[in-house]
Amino acid sequence: MSPLLEKLRAALGPANVLTGVDLSPFVIEGRTPEVAVFPGSSEDVAAVVQQAAAAGLPIMPWGGGTAAAVGATSARAGLVLGLKRLDRLVEHEPGDLTATVEAGMTFDALQSALRARGQWLSLDPPDGDRATVGGVIAADASGPRRHLYGTVRDLLIGLTVVTADGAIVRGGGKVVKNVAGYDLPKLFVGAYGTLGIVVEATFKLRPLAEEERLLAVTFDRLKDCGAAVRALLASDLLPNAVEIVDAAAGASLGLGAAALLVGFDGLPEQVDAQARELAMLVAPLGGRDVTVLAPATWPRLASLARDALASPAAVMTFSVLPTLVADAMEQGAAAARQRGVGSAWSAHAGVGAVTGALAADREATTVAAVLAEWRAIARAGGGHAALAWAPLAVKALVPVWDDAGPAGRVMQRIKARLDPNNVLNPGRFVAGI
Amino acid sequence: MATLAVDRKSALRRELESIVGRDGVLSDPDELLVYESDGLTLFRALADFVVFPTCAEHVAAVVRLANREALPFVARGAGTGLSGGCLPAEGGLVISMMRMNRVLEVDYDNQVAVVEPGLVNLHLSWAVGPRGFYYAPDPSSQQACTIGGNIANNSGGPHTLKYGVTVNHVLGLEVVLPDGELVWLGGKTRDALGYDLAGVFVGSEGTFGIATKIAVRILKKPQAVKTVLAVFDQIDQASAAVSAIIARGLVPAAVEMIDQLTIQAVEDAFGCGYPRDAAAALLIELDGLRAGMEAQAERIVAACRESGAREVRTAADEAERQLLWKGRKSAFGAYGRVSPAYMVMDGVIPRTKLPYVLGRVNEIVAAHGLRVGNVFHAGDGNLHPNILYDPRKPGEEARVVAAGAEIMKVCAEVGGSISGEHGIGLEKSDFMPFIFSAADLAFMQSLKAAFNPTGLCNPGKVFPTKKSCVEAGPVAYRPHAIEERGLAQRF
Repeated sequence: MSPLLEKLRAALGPANVLTGVDLSPFVIEGRTPEVAVFPGSSEDVAAVVQQAAAAGLPIMPWGGGTAAAVGATSARAGLVLGLKRLDRLVEHEPGDLTATVEAGMTFDALQSALRARGQWLSLDPPDGDRATVGGVIAADASGPRRHLYGTVRDLLIGLTVVTADGAIVRGGGKVVKNVAGYDLPKLFVGAYGTLGIVVEATFKLRPLAEEERLLAVTFDRLKDCGAAVRALLASDLLPNAVEIVDAAAGASLGLGAAALLVGFDGLPEQVDAQARELAMLVAPLGGRDVTVLAPATWPRLASLARDALASPAAVMTFSVLPTLVADAMEQGAAAARQRGVGSAWSAHAGVGAVTGALAADREATTVAAVLAEWRAIARAGGGHAALAWAPLAVKALVPVWDDAGPAGRVMQRIKARLDPNNVLNPGRFVAGI
Repeated sequence: MATLAVDRKSALRRELESIVGRDGVLSDPDELLVYESDGLTLFRALADFVVFPTCAEHVAAVVRLANREALPFVARGAGTGLSGGCLPAEGGLVISMMRMNRVLEVDYDNQVAVVEPGLVNLHLSWAVGPRGFYYAPDPSSQQACTIGGNIANNSGGPHTLKYGVTVNHVLGLEVVLPDGELVWLGGKTRDALGYDLAGVFVGSEGTFGIATKIAVRILKKPQAVKTVLAVFDQIDQASAAVSAIIARGLVPAAVEMIDQLTIQAVEDAFGCGYPRDAAAALLIELDGLRAGMEAQAERIVAACRESGAREVRTAADEAERQLLWKGRKSAFGAYGRVSPAYMVMDGVIPRTKLPYVLGRVNEIVAAHGLRVGNVFHAGDGNLHPNILYDPRKPGEEARVVAAGAEIMKVCAEVGGSISGEHGIGLEKSDFMPFIFSAADLAFMQSLKAAFNPTGLCNPGKVFPTKKSCVEAGPVAYRPHAIEERGLAQRF
C-alpha cells in the first residue's frame, strides 16, 4: 500500500490523496476505501488508473456520491477516484446547441451556466446540487422531463473516458449527428463506471422554453390515473412530463389522493391551450381539481416515493410497459400491505419507469419477500426491476439487479475485453460484472 | 472474389438449401453480380452465395454454418447504402434480409412496433398511419431502404433535427450474434437492463451481428405542420438564417438547404416551384401543436428576412407542401439531368461553421476542375456535397475521390465528423484517423472483438485496413448489373 501512496502523493500532491479518518465521507455500506484521490486532469486520472491497476487495487469512480450505494456490494472498496477537480465547462457554443463539460462539474452548476445563455441540457436528474455530470451518465439518471426529452442516451453525443488500462479514449464527437465509428457514448451510459471513467462529455442542448407549468389532477384510484395517462398519450397533447403518484407519495405535495401530474412547456399560448385541453380530457375519467403546482415542485418529482417515507427499508425501480404502470403500482402496494408493510409509489408513467419505496418497520426477510414479489410484478409485464437502494441485510437476500439472461453473457464478454483485470468497480453491476 | 473449389461450393449450396430452401440460395455468378455493390458503385466485391432466410432460426443456422466453414458473412437489406457497408468484401455469404419484411406486432397504447429487418422504412409508417402514427426516422431512400439497414447505419433524415436518428427510436433488438447465438438486446420497455447493448448495436454497420426482430417507437402524427421556403441571393445569407433560427430558441422539425445548382436541376426535372435564380433556398418545417404554430412561423419568417431572404413563403396547402418536399427529396435523381454521374459526400460540422465550410467545399471542388451541388440537413450541420463528374473521362473519378477526402479533412478540422448518416463502410475506413486516435480505434476494435471475435461477421469495414480483396476505389466506372438491365438508375 505505501509505495502506491507515495506514488499517488508525488503525482497529485498530498492534499489530493486522502487516507485514514479523512475517508469517512467515502464509507459505503460500512466499507472504508483504502485511499481516495482527486486528480486534476484527464492525464492524472489515467496515471492513477495505471498505478492502482498495477497495485491490484479496485477503482471506484466517484462524482458527487449520490449513487455510490447503488449496485451489488463488492468485497473490497479499494481506491476512490474522485472527479470533483475536473469541474470546468469546457465549451458552450450557443449557435451549435452543444456544450462540452468535465465530468466532475455538478449538474446544477452546468445548468445554471447554460441557462445564463438561454439554453439547457434537457435532463433533470435528482440531487442536481451534488450529482455530477459524470455520475449522471454512469447512473443513467433522469427525471420527469424524460417523457418528452429522453434520457442520457438521447442527449450525450461524445465523451472522453480513461479506460481500464489507463488510455484516454474519445468516442462520438461534438456534432449532433455522427455515425463515424461505434457509438461509444451509449456504452458508458448506465454502466456505473465498470468500463471506463468518464472525464469529459459533450451534450446536445435545447433552447429554454418561454413558459412551463406543472399541473396536478387527483383521482379516486391509481387505476383511474392509468386510464387518464392512456387517454393523454393517445391525444395530440405534447406534455413534457406525465407522472403518477399514489396518495402516500403525493401527500408531501398536498395532494390527498392518487394523482396525475402533467407538465407542459413552450410558448405561453401552447401551455395555456394544453392546460385547458387536459382539464377537458380528465374530467370524464374521474379527474378532479386540476391545480397548478409551484415550479419548485419539479426537482422533487424524481425522488417523491423515496422521500415520502422517513427512512425506507428499500427502494426498487421498475421498467415496465407504460400501460402496465398503474397496475404495477397497485399490485406492488397490495403485496406490501398483505405483509403489513406500508409503501409509497411514483412513476414517470408515460415511459414506464416506476419507483416503489417500502417502509422500514419489518425484518429483512419480510422486506426481501415483498421485493421478490415486486420483481415478479415487473417481469410479468415483460419488464425488469432493480434495487435502487437497500441496506446490506436486504441486499444479501435480494439480488440488486434483475437477471439479464443471455444478454448478460454479451455484457460479460464486453467487460472481459475492456477491463480484463477487472479493476473498475468490480462486482457491482449486472451479470456479476 | 469467389474463391471456393467447385465441389466444396456445391456441397455448401446443398447445405444452405437444406436451411433456407432451394429457392433461397443464389450461387450463379450472373445472379451474384446484382449483389456486388450497394448505392456506392465505386466498390465491388463478389460473394460465393447470397442466401434468403425467412426467419431468425434460418439466419442463426446460416451463421453457424459460416462459422464452421470459416466463411465471412454480411447482412444486406435493400442495398441502398452509400458507403459499401454491405459488400462481401472478403467473399463468402451475403445474407439478404429482404424476405423477412413483416410488421410482427403493433402496440398502439405503448407506441411500440416490432418489425422484421427487411421491412421497408416507409412501409412501417404506412402500416401504422391509419391509426394516426408514423415512424420518425426518414432517410431520403425511405421508399426503398429497410429498417434493418437503418439499424446498421443509424440512419437519419431531414426530420432527425427534432426527432433524433434511428437509435433514438430503437428500444430493443433480437439479434443473431456472430457466433450464431440468438439473443434479445434491450426489449420493449424504455430502460435497458445492464449495458445499453441495443444502443451500441445500432450503427455498428453489421459488424456486431444481424438483427432479426426490431422493437421501435412509433410516434403520433403531429397535430399541425407548416412548411416555409426561404429564398436567398447569397448562400452565406442562408447559412446565417440557420443560426438566426436557432438563436431565437426555435427547434424546427427540419431545416434543409438547397443550392443553386441543385435548384436548377430540380426545376428542370420536376418544376417544384423553387426560383431558378436563387443562390440558395431553405426548406423549413415546423410541426407540433396547432396552438402557437402561427407565432413560431412568424419568428421563422422574421429570422430569414433579417438574414437577407429576398422571399419567404409558407406552403398554402398540403399539395404545395408536398411539392416543395418533392423538390428536396428528388434532388439526387435530378442531378442525372446535369451530370452523367455524381458522388454523394456525407460530413458533419458544427452549425456555426456552415459559411466557412461551404466556401471551402466549393474551393476544393473547383480546384479539382469539378462541379458540386449541395442539398443537405443544414439544421444539424449534416452536409451532402454531391460532386458531379463524368466517369467516362479518364481520371475524373480519381479527382472526385481526392476532392472527397479533402472535404472530409475540412469537416474534421472544424470539429466535425466524417459521416452523419451514411456510415464508414469501405468508403471511409481509411479516413477514420482524421477524427479518431490510435487509442480510440484500438478501444473500438476491442469492443468489436467482444461481439465478433473471429471477425467473420462483415470483415473489412469501419476500420482502416488494406483493402486487399476488394476492387478498391477509385476504379474505372462501369454500370452496375441492375443498371445494365434497366432496373435502376444511378442515384
